Amino acid sequence: MSELQLSDVRKSYGNFEVIKGVDLDIRTGEFVVFVGPSGCGKSTLLRMIAGLEEITSGDLLIDGERMNDVDPSKRGIAMVFQSYALYPHMTVRENMGFALRFAGVPKAEIDSRVGEAANILELGPLLDRKPKQLSGGQRQRVAIGRAIVRHPKIFLFDEPLSNLDAELRVHMRIEIARLHKKLATTIIYVTHDQVEAMTLADKIVVMRGGVVEQVGSPLDLYDDPANLFVAGFIGSPKMNFLKGIVEMGAGGDKHVRLPDFGNATLPVTARDAAPGSAVTIGIRPEHFGDNGSAHLALTIDMLEHLGGETFAYARHGNGELIVIETKNGRSLKSGDSIAARFDSTVALVFDADGRRLR
Amino acid sequence: MNNGSARIAGAIVTYGFVGLMAFLSIFPFVWMLLGATNSSIDIIKGKMLPGSALATNISTFFTQVNAPLVFWNSAKIAILATALTLAVSSLAGYGFEMFRSRRRDRIYSALLLTMMIPFAALMIPLFIMMGKVGLINTHLAVVLPSIGSAFVVFYFRQCTKAFPSELRDAAKVDGLKEWQIFLYIYVPVMRSTYAAAFIIVFMTAWNNYLWPLIVLQSNETKTITLVISSLASAYYPDYGVVMVGTILATLPTLAVFFFMQRQFVQGMLGSVK
Ligand SMILES: Nc1ncnc2c1ncn2[C@@H]1O[C@H](COP(=O)(O)OP(=O)(O)OP(=O)(O)O)[C@@H](O)[C@H]1O
Ligand SMILES: [Mg+2]
Repeated sequence: MSELQLSDVRKSYGNFEVIKGVDLDIRTGEFVVFVGPSGCGKSTLLRMIAGLEEITSGDLLIDGERMNDVDPSKRGIAMVFQSYALYPHMTVRENMGFALRFAGVPKAEIDSRVGEAANILELGPLLDRKPKQLSGGQRQRVAIGRAIVRHPKIFLFDEPLSNLDAELRVHMRIEIARLHKKLATTIIYVTHDQVEAMTLADKIVVMRGGVVEQVGSPLDLYDDPANLFVAGFIGSPKMNFLKGIVEMGAGGDKHVRLPDFGNATLPVTARDAAPGSAVTIGIRPEHFGDNGSAHLALTIDMLEHLGGETFAYARHGNGELIVIETKNGRSLKSGDSIAARFDSTVALVFDADGRRLR
Repeated sequence: MNNGSARIAGAIVTYGFVGLMAFLSIFPFVWMLLGATNSSIDIIKGKMLPGSALATNISTFFTQVNAPLVFWNSAKIAILATALTLAVSSLAGYGFEMFRSRRRDRIYSALLLTMMIPFAALMIPLFIMMGKVGLINTHLAVVLPSIGSAFVVFYFRQCTKAFPSELRDAAKVDGLKEWQIFLYIYVPVMRSTYAAAFIIVFMTAWNNYLWPLIVLQSNETKTITLVISSLASAYYPDYGVVMVGTILATLPTLAVFFFMQRQFVQGMLGSVK
């Protein structure tokens, strides 16, 4: 049975619909990450699950029970906020025990749960400090501790790491992953950060404009995006998109002609690509190489040598920049002409509306 | 050097201005202190040195004025008015900032507009109202009109803007009802805002003159401001005694300010960091 279920969930502010019918199933223990561009409704959806925003229509089920109108504290969730939202006038210990104290949990039980959470997060020495006396990373850990103490069925995180510096972010990311392993609790996590999404998630939910574009495991989304948006959103540097036209060859073989690349052609296997139609070909930077059935004649514009790999930004004539990732690109120089080869079977084909053609 | 002399001239102007302002604010205090030590005649003559009439002035003041009663009246009114004003106005400020509604800002503007109405225009209707409910010559008549202060509501709403809304969300997830969030989270977090508002409201209430003058008619209900003014408007006012009264009347507000100075400054700077 799924732990959390959204069916046709919608949210409007006045006449303005922000969440436009979301269906989603989350299994117990899953780490689910919501990603999407700013303003797409990730936070709103999370807050609806938390009970901080009213659900305009649709159903929210937790453990099979309809939770639309249940008080946030009774949904079996705990939330970690972007700004940590620690109570500034309480010590770390009081912050962590506050919800329990309010729920009338006996003092001994509170102490033991706070102690347990403090152990997990190594907060022991900080328990009697006020939030003001903590560093950003420590505050974040306290915020997580405050959530753990409640033994929730579901953790909700809204961009919990975005106020931390890069190094600490990596550290906390690993810590959260470790925590998930340890507690095996369901986590719903909102982030802007590609890497966080790819590394943490069992399941990524890509949102845009209040709708779910695709749900799947990180690698599924990477390898097999359902549309142009997901293809472009997942992966960094971004997937290259080439405009093309589907044509029938003399021998009855279907291929795509790329007018912007000297009319280079590549065979397509997508059955749904109708001859004469405009399509977009998607190729990831790392899919270019020295071998492959298709090739583009490009001139290198700029290079980024990262040591282990090289990103070459190249173009055909004055066309759009193509990003190529290569392991052995140290000898390349800008101005070099190259033949960027790729296997046409790894190229993705999208129709004019951005839908994936298979 | 040209540059140097310009700087010196600038400094002279700056210090001159600052000095003048300092003189203007300190002079009345000094005069009040000196006045208390002089006889009325000397004060009228403009004597600016310490005199020897302090003991006489003090004893005259305490024989003419039932000081314990008068100060008790003032204190009762000021404390009650301050407590009620802070409670009501901070709730209103919190509500205005936290709850969205289509009519919110229209109601709020209307509330702020009431600040434009001079008190003189409200006096007569207010007096009639108080008369109808039989509150004339009671302290409640002084306290009640001051509670719903548009200015303090405004002050609290402005300060509430700095109150992180995620704190309220966190409290909701922790199971607090709205009134509990207000009481257990908002009030302690906004402590310095309350302190600043306390000073402002307390001073206003303590120094309130016009309205008490109208509604407090018997000697038993009068406050210190009223008593000082009646001393000063006697046929032969004894200014030395008036100054003694003024000094005594200043002490509580001074004390409040000194005790809460730190929070006051913090509250003015914004309490949430
Ligand atoms: N209280 C509100 N009233 C009206 N519109 C709102 C309100 N809260 C959010 N919105 C709108 O809802 C949309 C989604 O907001 P939301 O905060 O969920 O986005 P998000 O995906 O979390 O973005 P970000 O990544 O920037 O945090 C936005 O267009 C926003 O303007
Ligand atoms: Mg957000």
